[in-house]
Amino acid sequence: MTMFLTIAVIVLIFVVIFQIAKASEYVSVLKGEEVSRKQNNKINGFLMIGFLVLGLFGVWYCNELYYGKTLLVHDAASVEGARVDSMLWVTLAVTGIVFILTQIVLFWFAYKYQESENRKVFFFPHNNKLEVIWTVIPAIALTVLVVIGLRNWFLFTGEPPQNAMVVEVTGKQFGWIYRYPGKDGSFGKKYYKNIDNASNSLGLIWDDKLGHDDVVMEQTMYLVKGKPVKLIIGSRDVIHDVGLVHFRMKMDAVPGIPTTMWFTPKYTTKEMKEITGNPNFQYEISCDQMCGNGHYSMKGVIEVVDQEEFDAWMVKQKPYYVQQFPEKDPAAPKAVADTAAKTASVKPVEAAKKAVAKM
Amino acid sequence: MMTSVQTNEPKRIHPHKFTMWVAMGSIVMAFAGLTSAYIVKKNQSSWLEFDLPVVFWYSTAVILISSVTMHLATKAFKAREMGRYRTLMTVTAALGVLFIVLQYLGFVNLEANNIALVGAKSNSAASFLLVITGLHMVHVLGGVIALLVMFIRAYSSKTKTYSSVPVEVAGTYWHFVDVLWIYLFIFYNWIG
Amino acid sequence: MSNEAVVHAHGAVATHEGHGDHHHEHHHHETFITKYVFSQDHKMIAKQFLITGMVWAVLGGLMSVLFRLQLGYPDATFPWLEDILGKWAKGGRITQEAYYALVTTHGTVLVFFVLTAGLSGTFANFLIPLQVGARDMASPFMNMLSYWFFFAASIVMLSSMFVETGPFSGGWTAYPPLSALGDASPGSKTGMDMWLISMALFVVSSLLGGLNYIATVLNMRTKGMSMTRLPLTIWALFFTAVLGVLSFPVLFSGFILLIFDRNFGTSFYLSDIFINGVGALPNEGGSAILYQHLFWFLGHPEVYIILLPAMGMVSEILSVNSRKPIFGYMAMIGSLFAIAILAFLVWAHHMFVTGLNPFLGSIFVLLTLLIAVPSAIKVFNWLTTLWRGNIRFTPGMLFAIGFVSLFISGGLTGIWLGNSALDIHLHDTYFVIAHFHIVMGVASMFGMFAGIYHWFPKMYGKYLNNTMGYIHFWVTLAGAYLIFWPMHYEGLAGMPRRYYDYSIWESFKQFVELNRFISTVAMIVFAVQLLFLFNFFYSIFKGRKVTSLNPWGATTLEWTTPINPGHGNWVGEIPEVHRWAYDYGKDGKEFIAQTTPVGADESEHH
Ligand code: HEA
Ligand code: HEA
Ligand code: CUA
Ligand SMILES: [Cu+2]
Repeated sequence: MTMFLTIAVIVLIFVVIFQIAKASEYVSVLKGEEVSRKQNNKINGFLMIGFLVLGLFGVWYCNELYYGKTLLVHDAASVEGARVDSMLWVTLAVTGIVFILTQIVLFWFAYKYQESENRKVFFFPHNNKLEVIWTVIPAIALTVLVVIGLRNWFLFTGEPPQNAMVVEVTGKQFGWIYRYPGKDGSFGKKYYKNIDNASNSLGLIWDDKLGHDDVVMEQTMYLVKGKPVKLIIGSRDVIHDVGLVHFRMKMDAVPGIPTTMWFTPKYTTKEMKEITGNPNFQYEISCDQMCGNGHYSMKGVIEVVDQEEFDAWMVKQKPYYVQQFPEKDPAAPKAVADTAAKTASVKPVEAAKKAVAKM
Repeated sequence: MMTSVQTNEPKRIHPHKFTMWVAMGSIVMAFAGLTSAYIVKKNQSSWLEFDLPVVFWYSTAVILISSVTMHLATKAFKAREMGRYRTLMTVTAALGVLFIVLQYLGFVNLEANNIALVGAKSNSAASFLLVITGLHMVHVLGGVIALLVMFIRAYSSKTKTYSSVPVEVAGTYWHFVDVLWIYLFIFYNWIG
Repeated sequence: MSNEAVVHAHGAVATHEGHGDHHHEHHHHETFITKYVFSQDHKMIAKQFLITGMVWAVLGGLMSVLFRLQLGYPDATFPWLEDILGKWAKGGRITQEAYYALVTTHGTVLVFFVLTAGLSGTFANFLIPLQVGARDMASPFMNMLSYWFFFAASIVMLSSMFVETGPFSGGWTAYPPLSALGDASPGSKTGMDMWLISMALFVVSSLLGGLNYIATVLNMRTKGMSMTRLPLTIWALFFTAVLGVLSFPVLFSGFILLIFDRNFGTSFYLSDIFINGVGALPNEGGSAILYQHLFWFLGHPEVYIILLPAMGMVSEILSVNSRKPIFGYMAMIGSLFAIAILAFLVWAHHMFVTGLNPFLGSIFVLLTLLIAVPSAIKVFNWLTTLWRGNIRFTPGMLFAIGFVSLFISGGLTGIWLGNSALDIHLHDTYFVIAHFHIVMGVASMFGMFAGIYHWFPKMYGKYLNNTMGYIHFWVTLAGAYLIFWPMHYEGLAGMPRRYYDYSIWESFKQFVELNRFISTVAMIVFAVQLLFLFNFFYSIFKGRKVTSLNPWGATTLEWTTPINPGHGNWVGEIPEVHRWAYDYGKDGKEFIAQTTPVGADESEHH
């Protein structure tokens, strides 16, 4: 019903506009084309300047409304992210000035030089000096931006500091799997043909001893405040993307081609809750590459904690190998073996939840 | 009108010929795209090295000869020796078909040597060979069809044609696919 | 062979019996079919491109309205949606599958069918022969084929919307493995096959058209029309064609490899893949990134293919309606050339976060930002063209001014994205959506509107209604800014694109109201486009008749043809050209047509 009403209203508006348009065309034929053209010119010239004023006001008003909802009101949550922000401000300053000036000039000229009988057009086909000026000035401005940008770029894409911890992140439709290297500090090998959703979500090669202490989990990744972290990113199926808005970082997860990214978290999740004033605050991992119908729901969570909390949490984690082969667990002999070892992929989530609850 | 245009303007290449040149540029880009992809892939892991079957040498010879006959056909046309022209066109088209058949035999040969071109066991090295060579074969086939059309035209008595433009355009294209194959052949053997 | 002979000879071989002064629009008796359907007249083909493009603009625009409904009212249900979309909107809410299919098709058809075929297909066909002084294209037959390939592509794309598993839904860039694996997404099944067929046909159409445009511009100019006397429209359309002819084949290669991966089990793009419910795939050693290189090698030039014709037409229209020469004609050509060259050298700026080699990345940053220099030259030259002019606000002129405003706004955000370290943060957020809608979705569309308003009198011998034109312009300009400006803020909050629903995200759910606002304005803007279409079709039949040969007082050749030119364009000889196209306001004269010989006492300008 409402739809028909809406359509009726729209059609009505159309008809009215059409009648007005027709009428004004007849009037203009009557008055003579010259006269009506001049009238139209006046109106549109005025609208030009009106649009400029309203537009600039609108730019300001939009900023009032929405600036508070962007990420810029708070500090970036990583040391490197702060550089992104400062770069963003510089770029905004440069392009903002250009924007304001050129838009003012454009609409002002349009208004000022609207047709008038007593103006003689200035025949001005070219002028080398002017053209050189507006080639050189933008070139200089851009050089500055490029220099700032590339310094950051090489920092971000370069090697992380020595003391960085390493976490492997694997995307799949539609979720994230994390792997920590365990005590030995290195990951065991994996091969995608070994993947089995229930018992080997990453396709670890069980023969590789290095992998026996690897900790695998889904849902929440734990990181340490102030400690650089290097993520080794991969995918099990299609391309995904690890998007970390608060850290200002992003990197694709490509099947078969591992990528990396590193950054240094600056605030714990708890601190961010205070900074943002949002008790529900979470560091979210958003998938930023179209990966199928569940793309919009492919969410991961990062919990940034202090070193002690992290250590306490890590101690509680059972290596994935041990979860799958409880009989091989050096710490706890046979007893727990039969408690549904096959629901492994759910287990770490619960473990993580418990860990959070205890903190 | 025509005379006035032609006497006063610098001599321009015929639009159809020119179009053919631009089209060749365009085709080159398609193959440039594929061969650069080939190089990129080759530098990554799991690339299968294998020798080209000998048949490809024969097919190379065939297409080279066909270029010569095409050239002679054009000359014959210009000299208005229509009989010779028709014979040479037939030979050229036949050589074109032979070329395609030989390429196909090359693929068969590879498959026979357990180098899968497509399917689960295939390696991109062989698949690339198939796709690139196959695309080239399609272009040769296009040339053969063009030759056939011209051939039929040469027999039909209704339109007496004296313009050598279509023949020259077809000839240019024929030499082009020839050169393109030579490039690909060198590429497979010594560059890629 | 002269122009004359080419028109005569289409299809058959030139027989050279007919030189001399006969004009062939009189002795071709055309049937309905040869005149309106399989026409070889460039003007009719232009109109065919235009109207097909309009059909797609309506469909593509409608799709955006539908998916904006989901974004603006994620919790609401609209029972009528189920009536029109059936299972794709169960319970009156668009499903995820349908959402992604709509976004993908929206992007594909607006980029390729509307702003490539619809824009350069229309204006290259219409303007090149008319403005260079040729009877028709170099090969009218190829020209006709070009349209019919486009038509076939349209039909295939349209039918893909009715297949059981839905149309392709992996984004207009069609990245594999998603686009290669039907098991990874239903949209990648039959829908994707049809998408590929449609795009392949489209590439053929573009190539046939492009070859023809290039050959015509270089080969068929009338006497005296040297390259440096060409109107800037022609230069722009020429570079557009060059970009297309050199980049579409590469896309085609990329598609061929994709087709093999999809259907023949090869591993060009596929490696190490495990699909839920299917298991591990045999493919190893492929590189998904390879496709992205091949795609963006076209994809980036493509955005300039969309922009350059608009720039060319805007240059022309600004100059005509300011009654003043375009400022810096040679610089305008130079910057077009620079943009065309650079367009081939920046493609990887879409791939900064794919794990690209950092050194390579830095080169692409440099080259990308370099594009701002020729763009700056163009912007400042347009502004100077307005300066001390005598501006007539025809609807075409308004859209041209709007184009400049939007190009600045959208182009400047490109500078943000081109700087890789900043792009890491902004990539695939609504900031990118805002960037490319302003500079492409709206600016280029404005260029197209400007062209239509300006050349409509030549196309149909009628005027469009001015009042409706003014309403169309002001509402669209204001609406476009209202829709896309606030999106920058969403992007600065990191809000990702191609998201069906934001409600589960703590970081992105604060924009519910804004999204509703955007959706509402989008509907209004869409309605106003329908008003334009109404104006267009109404005016073809009932519009005010054009009574003078040269209604805008322009210098270029198309206005020396009869009001309704026949096939062959000029009655009698093609006029000779004696000067460049921009002698407005020279020596106190209103304008001097290109056909006027240079007077003895005329001042020099170079
Ligand atoms: C018509 C189309 C069009 C045009 C003209 C442009 C123009 C530009 N684009 Fe845009 N772009 C797109 C269409 C277009 N783009 C599309 C469709 C996408 C997304 C595709 C997808 O992923 O779906 C995209 C995405 C895109 C990206 C990738 C973003 C990402 O995915 O992360 C980048 C990054 O570099 C970029 C950069 C640029 C630059 C630098 C320009 C420059 O050419 C702009 C130059 C213009 C100006 C700078 C303004 C005028 C100049 C002045 C007023 C002078 C003074 C200026 C200074 C001193 C700074 N664009
Ligand atoms: C040039 C192209 C173009 C145009 C004009 C538009 C127009 C619009 N687009 Fe679109 N859009 C794209 C190209 C375009 N878009 C692309 C490439 C994508 C990315 C797809 C992907 O992610 O894969 C995208 C994605 C995209 C998104 C992101 C979706 C997501 O990521 O989830 C959104 C969201 O709001 C959006 C909205 C709109 C709106 C509201 C309009 C409005 O402006 C609509 C108003 C309607 C029109 C302007 C057209 C109608 C015009 C006529 C009927 C007149 C006809 C006359 C002539 C042709 C002369 N678009
Ligand atoms: Cu995973 Cu999008
Ligand atoms: Cu680009």
